Amino acid sequence: MSNGSILLLMTALFLIFGYMGVPVAFALMAGVLAACALTPISMQSMIGQMFHGIDSEILLAVPFFLLVGELMTSANVTNRMIRLAQTMVGHMRGGLAQVVTLFSMFFAGVSGSSTADVAVLSRTVAPEMTREGYDRAFTAALIACASTMANLIPPSIMAVVYGATGNVSIGGLFLAGIVPGILVGIGLMIYSHFFGPVGIKKPRASLCEFADAARASALPLMIPVIIMGGILTGWFTPTEAGMVASVYILVVLVPLLSRSHIPNLPRDFVYTGLLYSIPLALVAAASAFGWMLAYLRGPDIVSGWIEIIAGHDGRIIMLLLVLLFIVIGDFMDAVPAIIIFMPIVIKLNELGNIKPLHMGVVLITTLVFGLITPPYGLSLLVASKFVGVAFSKAMFASLPIYIVFFVAIAFTVLFPDVVLYLPKLLLPESIGCFKSPSGTGYICPP
Amino acid sequence: MAFKTFVIDRHRHLKWTALDPLENILMVFCGISIGGFTFSVFLDVVTRELGAAILWLQLATTGFFAWGVFIGMAAATRRIDHLNLVEITKGMSGSKRTFMEVFNRAVILAVGLAMVAFGIQNFMNDLGSFRAPSLIPLATYTASVPIAGALIVLFCVEQLINGWNHGFEGPEDQDNFAGIVQ
Repeated sequence: MSNGSILLLMTALFLIFGYMGVPVAFALMAGVLAACALTPISMQSMIGQMFHGIDSEILLAVPFFLLVGELMTSANVTNRMIRLAQTMVGHMRGGLAQVVTLFSMFFAGVSGSSTADVAVLSRTVAPEMTREGYDRAFTAALIACASTMANLIPPSIMAVVYGATGNVSIGGLFLAGIVPGILVGIGLMIYSHFFGPVGIKKPRASLCEFADAARASALPLMIPVIIMGGILTGWFTPTEAGMVASVYILVVLVPLLSRSHIPNLPRDFVYTGLLYSIPLALVAAASAFGWMLAYLRGPDIVSGWIEIIAGHDGRIIMLLLVLLFIVIGDFMDAVPAIIIFMPIVIKLNELGNIKPLHMGVVLITTLVFGLITPPYGLSLLVASKFVGVAFSKAMFASLPIYIVFFVAIAFTVLFPDVVLYLPKLLLPESIGCFKSPSGTGYICPP
Repeated sequence: MAFKTFVIDRHRHLKWTALDPLENILMVFCGISIGGFTFSVFLDVVTRELGAAILWLQLATTGFFAWGVFIGMAAATRRIDHLNLVEITKGMSGSKRTFMEVFNRAVILAVGLAMVAFGIQNFMNDLGSFRAPSLIPLATYTASVPIAGALIVLFCVEQLINGWNHGFEGPEDQDNFAGIVQ
């Protein structure tokens, strides 16, 4: 059998098994093992590749950012941030919808998990929205869309996985994600203001109320400062920053703000221990799949197709990859998608002379869109379940909001100077700049 | 009972109570693993800042991490917590449902068996490879793969036998989404 045929068979088996209900990690490995039987590659080496796929210190950041989200949620510290958001935007038209978006922006700076964001908002703000007469489908759609910011605004689990597999600066990806993250946030607020339900008009919070809420949230809102401050000053790696944030919650936040939660901490660790293993089992299987894909020259085949259409034009290559990843994101989880397609992305970066950091932030912005699109929109699935509305209704309510994501993706593709401004300013090495031999400033590629 | 603390009651009809303590142990192990590498990374940073870095802490960290991933993978198999592209079997019943559930678990079983068979081969090879600086055999890490594979096979067989005897349908079929963890 030719390499192309084996590649097609492996991919088809993964998709068939996956859509028959086999868990993704096992469907991936089944495809890989079937391909092994048709190639000289031993199954032993592919099982070994599962281990090597997760044997990376950088990936340790994933459980830490999940732990931060779990601890903040279960200790009810997030309620303070919700109250702060209420004092800031609760008086606006569709006040609670605005609170959902603003809180998600705050929470995104604390946790890298969209699912944790959905869980918090579904338990706290969603019941209040139902009482105020918001359509449940709109509530679920908005919560799901807002939760995607957790993977754009740092820290982001997708950025960690992308950086670890693509050898791209994770700090740079964190900084580059801020612009599309804020764009999505502002877009959702504009959409809610003009097209969302009116809600109940509330008086504007007084300055004292705002100051009280800000003071109460000051300690939780130190977490983004700790994480990004530690990374940017070079004190910590992203993994260590995640650990420091977790220790900060355990040693400072929980004892000061939620002392009664201390006996529940072992339970939080147990559940987070399980929670982190699920995406990382995907990483293990996807890295074996990606290895086999590279062995079968999948990157050459796909990049050959793209080269026929786009030539060496970086912008068209990027556009085609965005279209490809919109489709991929509809059908599979972002983490395996990043790992499986990374060899192709690297090849196309070289072909179109695209900055890896720019490509990274564009693809992450595209993949977060997949969290709300059917059939595999994980955030929308979780939100519709928690809010208590059929997935199909939530999906129809989210359709008009897609425009916000299209604008954010297009902006990220078309304005690299704006998106990469922060990485260039604060982490110049992350976009390929190097120190000037004269010792002052940096020399950056055009 | 005390051992039931972290055992989930969803899909009870597919479980043997005799294996509940094992699920509980695996869950506790997951907690120990994340607690362990949180502590080891913390010590690593502290000792480095004090100018007395302990190099083997990084080995301990990756050990806790890798074992946590594979043991968690096995625990998630028993709890049916793995991520799926779709959950089409929930809408089915009768022989069609049985066929699909058995087929899906046969795929998981095959992967689990491969993890055992080839994982053991890797483990044997890795007995001769060592990780610097403390020269711990690589096999102490890669042993996690066949052990996870064996547990996956065990839980798969458990679900196949119970599903065959009692049917795969359960109250969880009403869920739109199988809630991860809780």
